[in-house]
Amino acid sequence: MKWFTIVLVLLSFSVFAAIDTFEFSSDSERQMFRQLSEELRCPKCQNQNLAGSNSAIALDLRRELHRMVLSGQSTVQIKTFMVDRYGEFVLYKPSVNSSTYMLWYGPFALLFIGFFVVFMMSRKTSVSAEKPTDNEVVNKSAKHEETTSHRQKMHDLLGSKND
Amino acid sequence: MSMRRVLLFIPLVICIVLGFLFAKGLPLNPTELPSAKIGKPFPAFSLATIRNANEVLTEASLKGEVRLVNVWATWCPTCKQEHSFLNKLAQAEGVEIIGINYKDQRNKASEWLKRYRDPYVFNLYDEQGSLGLDLGVYGAPETYIVDAQAIIRYRHVGEVNARVWVELKAKMLALGWSPKKS
Amino acid sequence: MGTALVHSLAVTEKRGLFKSWTLLLAIFTFSLSLLGTFLVRSGVLTSVHSFAADPERGLFILVLLAITVGGSLLLYAIKAYDVKSESNFELLSRETLILINNVVLVIICSMVLIGTLYPLIVDVLGAGKMSVGPPYFNLLFVPFSLLLAFFMGIGILLRWKKSSPRKLLKQLLPSFVLAVVVGVGAAYLFNQDLAFKATLALVLAFWVVFSLILDAFSKVSNKADKLVGLSKLSPSYWAMQIAHLGVVVTMVGVALVATYSEERDIRMVPGDIVTLAEYSFEFQGAEKISGPNYSADMGTIEVLKNNQFFATMHPEKRFYPARGSMMTEADINAGLFADVFVALGEPLADGAWAVRLQYKPFMRWVWFGGVLMMFAGMLTVFDRRYKIRKSALPVTA
Repeated sequence: MKWFTIVLVLLSFSVFAAIDTFEFSSDSERQMFRQLSEELRCPKCQNQNLAGSNSAIALDLRRELHRMVLSGQSTVQIKTFMVDRYGEFVLYKPSVNSSTYMLWYGPFALLFIGFFVVFMMSRKTSVSAEKPTDNEVVNKSAKHEETTSHRQKMHDLLGSKND
Repeated sequence: MSMRRVLLFIPLVICIVLGFLFAKGLPLNPTELPSAKIGKPFPAFSLATIRNANEVLTEASLKGEVRLVNVWATWCPTCKQEHSFLNKLAQAEGVEIIGINYKDQRNKASEWLKRYRDPYVFNLYDEQGSLGLDLGVYGAPETYIVDAQAIIRYRHVGEVNARVWVELKAKMLALGWSPKKS
Repeated sequence: MGTALVHSLAVTEKRGLFKSWTLLLAIFTFSLSLLGTFLVRSGVLTSVHSFAADPERGLFILVLLAITVGGSLLLYAIKAYDVKSESNFELLSRETLILINNVVLVIICSMVLIGTLYPLIVDVLGAGKMSVGPPYFNLLFVPFSLLLAFFMGIGILLRWKKSSPRKLLKQLLPSFVLAVVVGVGAAYLFNQDLAFKATLALVLAFWVVFSLILDAFSKVSNKADKLVGLSKLSPSYWAMQIAHLGVVVTMVGVALVATYSEERDIRMVPGDIVTLAEYSFEFQGAEKISGPNYSADMGTIEVLKNNQFFATMHPEKRFYPARGSMMTEADINAGLFADVFVALGEPLADGAWAVRLQYKPFMRWVWFGGVLMMFAGMLTVFDRRYKIRKSALPVTA
């Protein structure tokens, strides 16, 4: 029995999100419920979604969500219902409007800028070599230089390939 | 090469901007959630009162005066704490308070009110919490300022005490409320 | 950010390039960890991970941040101007790909930072409260990671300074075709549905693996005995191979788990059977047991895989009288190709229980990829070049 308990302990961990037993008439309904309960934020808790919270309001909202899913409402309708009562705060997936363009499109814009910079950098031909100033930065890179040429010598001596 | 010089300062500029952002953000409370219903009409409802199970009221009964609407329940300890202050408000300042008994039991609520006194003009019995849901209630106690046209003007989450009342009173006065001594 | 730094350092070490980039990345990497301290302790963000929300403490940390980060960036802005590199490399070279790698990694990092700080920005600007959560991060992370994997496959094969496009195409084209065939094949074998993202992830994973193999063989192409040649390659080279392999292993794990995992929360009475993927779960009831400091209800669930016995699982619902708390002890069967998870919820009427069942394919791969990366890091320590540097120290000091 002791061996058994040890194995059990090794195999287990604690979990504390509530387990509801809502019934659905189809897999797509179940999927919709799951997705929405993960996308909607519990208005009261410390940054938890409806699926992961045990608070009373989360329970109520899950029940309400279940009712709405069963009654055939669309994702948009359900989200609008929630936002009407609790504000945009309750959406973990921010809606795409003029105030969130930076959020949704920013990274892609940055990507294009980045690629453009890379392209420009690779087209430059040799620029002036370093100036030996006495700041840390150049000392640090000077050390790199020394090690690089040192390594070069070692490699030449030992005849191994430069990767 | 001054272009490069300028570019090198960009990280520093970003850092400074973020610094200001955080400095501004420190005093804010991220757990405070302003009501999504401010400026909107009080949600429609049709509920009985605690006093009389046959008396069904609707949102029309909220019109006519600037009032406080207080969401409470017997299972909520903070509600008990604020209750004596609500009593004082109703008596001393003549504030009209409408209660919403949220997800509770009628007999328990009546007993409670008999025991701790009843400052409410009337008390809506929201057994299922449907009105609470439509209001965007997420935890009792919550107190709303509702104006004479039954438009929601403000929501305070948590206990109403002397300090909170100063703020609420100012807002109510601005809406045209005047204290009545009973 | 740290990954970008590691790659950038490699370029600086080998080619003397990207010095100011490397410097900037080093400053950013450390600054971000300081920022993390600020975010969880100051109370500007709510999180299940944040500690005490104390604005006073937050101000102190902010001042600390201003001095360290602001100071280093100021120094950088002024002094980095004097650090220049010979930047003569072709568009098709290892340098370019590492630059691209840096760009993508930095953008992924920025995306997470922007997403985390956006609600705060909106609040400070007085535009109300909004939330940015997992749906946003998951959605945006995918295209960037796939892009990273794509470039990884190319970058591995490129030479420093310049690579011949023709030679590269000769290597990449068959590799690409093979990757698509094997990737789609593997995806189909696993699940007939052939979900797009999961299949794409598998194709890219094989794409990288084939590049790794091609590169290894190109290093021993002029050796008579290939195997001996391979064993003579430096530990740091193998570390690079293993680290990149680790990345795609994690990527495959994440893609398959995210796409094909199944889960049910359901009411079960003894005798009920529920099917998830190729597993069937039969609930055989719960019995009372007791442990050293708790009493529990232990459920018995017999699991069959493809109609053959797989495991008997025992989730528990424990009550600890000392604190009066209830704890749910799930039972997880962690296999190489799938995790099976079973947990008990609340007892319902008539001997029924609320049960949570989960099937997570390739879950361990997510961790395994990380282990590979860690192992690769440790392997690098044994590379000769670092021993050489040690003996060089008396000279430079």
